[in-house]
Amino acid sequence: MINAFLVFNGQGQPRLTKFYTQLDTSIQQRLISEIFTLVANRPKGSCNFLPLPPLLAASSTSTSSSEPHNDVPSLVTYRNYATLYFIIISTSTESPLALIDLIQVYVESLDRLFENVCELDLIFNFETLHATLGEMIVGGVVIETNMEKIVQGVRAQGTVAKRPVNESRGGGMGLGSGLGAGLGMGGNFVWSGR
Amino acid sequence: MPPRFEKSLYDLIRGLRNHKGNEKEYIQNCLKECRSEIKSQDMDVKATALLKIIYLEMNGHDMSWASFHVLEVMSSPKYHQKRVGYLGAVQSFKTDTEVLMLATNLLKKDLSASSPIVISLPIAALPHIITPSLALSVLADLLPRLSHSHSAIRKKTIVTLYRLALVYPETLRAAWPKIKERLMDKNEDPSVTAAIVNVVCELGWRRPQDFLPLAPRLFELLVDGGNNWMAIKLIKLFATLTPLEPRLVRKLLPPLTDLIRTTPAMSLLYECINGIIQGGILGDSEDDGREEIASLCVSKLRGMITFNGDANLKYVALLAFNRIVVTHPFLVAQQEDVIMECIDSEDITIRIKALDLVQGMVSSDNLVSIVSRLMRQLKTSTNSNNDQLDDLSTDSSEEMGAERRSRKRDEAPPLPEDYTIDVIGRILKMCSQDNYSNVVDFDWYIDVLTQLIRIAPASRKEVDSDGMALGAKSTTADIGESIGNELRNVAVKAKAVRVAAVRAAELIIAKLAMESTSHQVTSGSLKPVAWIAGEYAYHLSNPSDTLNHLLQLIPRIRPPEVLATCLQASMKLFALIAGNDQTSWTAERKSMVSLLMARVIHTYEPLVLHPSLEVQERAVEFTELLKLTAEAASAQAPSTDELEQDPPLLLTQAIPSLFQGWELNSVAVGAQLNVPMPEGLDLDEPIHPNLGSLLAQADSLMLPIQEDDEFAAYYNEKAAPTSISSEPAINRLRDAPETISSGSYQQATEDSYLDADIIARRKAERAERNRDDPFYIGDLGSPSRSQGTSTPIHNILQNENGPDLDIDSIPIMKLDLGAISSSGVGAGAGAPGTYQQPKPKSRPQIVVAADETLVGSRPSTPRTGSQHDSDADPSSTSAKSRAAKKLKQSLLQVDSSHLRNLSLEASQSDDSGALPHEKLAETDAEMAKAMKEVQRLRLEMQRANERIQVAQGVPTEGVVVKSKKKKKDKEGKKAKAKLEGGDGIDDEKEKKVKKKKKKAEAEAAEGAEGGVVIEGEPVGGEGEGEAVTVKKKEKEKVKKKKPKRIIQLDDDAGTGTGIGAEAGVEAGEP
Repeated sequence: MINAFLVFNGQGQPRLTKFYTQLDTSIQQRLISEIFTLVANRPKGSCNFLPLPPLLAASSTSTSSSEPHNDVPSLVTYRNYATLYFIIISTSTESPLALIDLIQVYVESLDRLFENVCELDLIFNFETLHATLGEMIVGGVVIETNMEKIVQGVRAQGTVAKRPVNESRGGGMGLGSGLGAGLGMGGNFVWSGR
Repeated sequence: MPPRFEKSLYDLIRGLRNHKGNEKEYIQNCLKECRSEIKSQDMDVKATALLKIIYLEMNGHDMSWASFHVLEVMSSPKYHQKRVGYLGAVQSFKTDTEVLMLATNLLKKDLSASSPIVISLPIAALPHIITPSLALSVLADLLPRLSHSHSAIRKKTIVTLYRLALVYPETLRAAWPKIKERLMDKNEDPSVTAAIVNVVCELGWRRPQDFLPLAPRLFELLVDGGNNWMAIKLIKLFATLTPLEPRLVRKLLPPLTDLIRTTPAMSLLYECINGIIQGGILGDSEDDGREEIASLCVSKLRGMITFNGDANLKYVALLAFNRIVVTHPFLVAQQEDVIMECIDSEDITIRIKALDLVQGMVSSDNLVSIVSRLMRQLKTSTNSNNDQLDDLSTDSSEEMGAERRSRKRDEAPPLPEDYTIDVIGRILKMCSQDNYSNVVDFDWYIDVLTQLIRIAPASRKEVDSDGMALGAKSTTADIGESIGNELRNVAVKAKAVRVAAVRAAELIIAKLAMESTSHQVTSGSLKPVAWIAGEYAYHLSNPSDTLNHLLQLIPRIRPPEVLATCLQASMKLFALIAGNDQTSWTAERKSMVSLLMARVIHTYEPLVLHPSLEVQERAVEFTELLKLTAEAASAQAPSTDELEQDPPLLLTQAIPSLFQGWELNSVAVGAQLNVPMPEGLDLDEPIHPNLGSLLAQADSLMLPIQEDDEFAAYYNEKAAPTSISSEPAINRLRDAPETISSGSYQQATEDSYLDADIIARRKAERAERNRDDPFYIGDLGSPSRSQGTSTPIHNILQNENGPDLDIDSIPIMKLDLGAISSSGVGAGAGAPGTYQQPKPKSRPQIVVAADETLVGSRPSTPRTGSQHDSDADPSSTSAKSRAAKKLKQSLLQVDSSHLRNLSLEASQSDDSGALPHEKLAETDAEMAKAMKEVQRLRLEMQRANERIQVAQGVPTEGVVVKSKKKKKDKEGKKAKAKLEGGDGIDDEKEKKVKKKKKKAEAEAAEGAEGGVVIEGEPVGGEGEGEAVTVKKKEKEKVKKKKPKRIIQLDDDAGTGTGIGAEAGVEAGEP
């Protein structure tokens, strides 16, 4: 199952945190910053999987590697779009390559909802982020991967707000090009699960 | 109404962005505003404030204080406010959040709302807040949602039911038939089917036997599903099913092979291969088809690693190889070349996975090359980090080193720390595996260890200053000690290389003493290394220097256990240096010894008041002993030309005798536990009825000098007196030590990872050993184990750096077949003298002593954790597994252990009750209702009592009210209820609770005519021992028959295992 879904930007500021098991706020923050240090230092062309952050590794290495524990989070998958990092922490019952696609589905769905999504949309509409995620994953289990249905489900809950007009794209924090540019990369991933 | 000045979320975020630099202050102000806003009567203000708080929570500001307000917003009638409330609950509620109990009714109400988007809210929120009691309460409301007209509701419900089942397994009993019905329904919305498959896949590995009957339907879905996401999950599920039902394999192979060959989706292709591996389909290779599939898989995986350098594929291929290596190491070994490439990948994730793999396929043939690779990595990384490149690595591996160094620089600064420690741990593990069976060249191993000790401390200091997580800290602090322990193990176990190990220890101590002249000694390696130097002091090249170093180090050591070891070691050294009874007691010697004693006493004295008892005791003992000796020494006049004087006996006999004794051998973990309790031994019985006087007598006894003399002679001339050893003889019979015949094996590039001085020392030592080694002198006429006599056969393996090739650095070994048997036997007799019966040419043949143990015939290496369990007796194993279980509880882990105890199959074919899950669901619901009834009654009573007390002027707080309640009869409530006065509940809350309770009452009344409660069941959390018993009514039984029919239908569609039994049950029922 999926243990957590996180989004944060290039400075490590969280944009979405969803933990499917309860954690103290302080530990959540520590985990996020640990993952951020891991993710921020990836050399170019490295894979989309992270070694376990110390917080998680401490508990999982104590079980010998010979007997895999399907309950323990063992996989940290990430994907980088423009200024944002999307992270999934999951157990070994999830397929690593499919998780990469899952992040893609999520981002593409956001893109459809916001039309050319950029980080600003996500900052100001974090409720929509949650709603979109809620249409895809419930309780750590994937319930939908069809983009049409996800978008439809989110729209059924009400109109999706647009980013404030006076907030220019790429302004403020210097978060330049929208995620749309990142989305173009989608084609590179040949193992599309869909 | 005054105009609004509250910030919206938008304002908050803008404000945050405009207050760069002093965000903290801004956030504190905002939080303060939110705190007041959230108490507003205006629901809009409240909801907005909550949304802001949720936003701030994401950034790390706790919002648990707002839980009651979250509940308020959740109960708003407006959807957009409700949604904020639910979001707040999801993000902040914990299972121990108090208001959760108050939320139950709200959740139930929203679950039965008419609008699908409202229903979705509690369904999606429940997995985050679920507790067993909450599950019990909402189950009845959740189940009907499985047949909701909206597919979105259905699929969410299915997942939520799964999460309910994790904390409250009985859920499955009620829900499974319905879920199964959905799965079997071919007209079901495909996304609902996919969701069910996901849930079944999660449940599948926990209880595969329950899902075997579903196989035909799942197979059908796999073949015509057309949904890759679902296919992946199905394959994963089948991988857990095939071990239980081998016949499935034949069915599965064609479609899987077909998928592998045709699918354009890489993820599906990978999962097919993975499924084949995990399902054990590679298993037996009698079948031709399987061999074919095995080679197909492996070649595809190999392709993934080499494919375009796509890192993700590399990673997953390594994951798959990691699974294969457990069962089919030979298949993986064929791919060694590509895997070794991955060890040097710049991507840490891939490297670690490759390392995992390498650990599984290490053998004596490739150990040196693997370790060399890793050492080179470590060396270059520490070099580039510290910017202290030593001349050697720059000239030897110019191009590689440079390349890697530049790579290293853009890597994460914190990662190499963990990684370094991880790699060192793995090197140690690989080498020590199976009692060092893979190590053929121990000199090389000792050098590697020496180098590792130099690499390790840097990492440790850094971690210390960081003040990292506790778990991480302990492992990092240990790594230096682990390396030292390895060196100690080698010194103890491989007697042939003991001299080399002792010299290495000597150097390490010297280096430590030089390096950290001012600050504290941090290297954990000091403890074992000091032990080596002390225990095998007679092998040291320069004992007095080493003693000096130790004395310098002692004041700078912080950890008491290290300090204690160093005290002991330095005393041993002193005994060796000063205790020589051969040389005469000259004036020169006298003054030298007196000075030395003064120095040692000076070092020990401050420790006499050390807080650690162990240290204190040793310091006191040794100081007093030395003072005594000093007196004796000063009293003893030095010998003159005329008169020969003996050195004081205290110096030459008493002190050395403290430390001379029997050879210490390594003992297997848990061997102590195997010592049988002698019959008639009563540990509680006093040893001697008059122990006190006996001890007093003993004090006056003289030192048994003569015996000691005898012993000393024994010790020096022959093998250690094993015949008087106190250990049971059985030891020696049981464990024949492993004999390793070794060929010379030398990676010529070793200077790329060993420090220059280590290499220089290697060379010098090789020459020197033959000349100076005191051991060889005694027994050997010729000082040189001449290099010419042996032929370096294998030594020019992989000579990449031709110009740098140093013939001298190649250890010379000779395979002496005759020696194998003789020394093997010698060691088999447990005699430490194997190496004292010298075979000058037998050096390459290193005997690694096995751990001594009693019953277990398995030799075990103390440092490989996984073997520990096997050595221990059952009780300690269980204790260990318990401990492991505790450890296992990981941060984000979902505990599903309850689920294992539930049996679905059993319940389905159970004869005793017709469809017990249905009944249970019914009783669950009834119980929930009854519980509410009880709670309501209790609350009413409490109110009544409070009212009375208030009327009577009695303070409510802290008064224990006793009242009784009879069954559900309102008039005569006689059941005992200890109710605490309503302290802590403010008025507002009270009202709220009341309202809710009323609702509950209404529900309970309509549903549970007769109010059934399970007998003897403690009701509710606060119900302290209160039990309400109500008889079951006949009506209920009749009611239960209806739903049964439906289940019967779905079983027909099913596979048939349970059907017969089911039908029988039905027929048998009246």
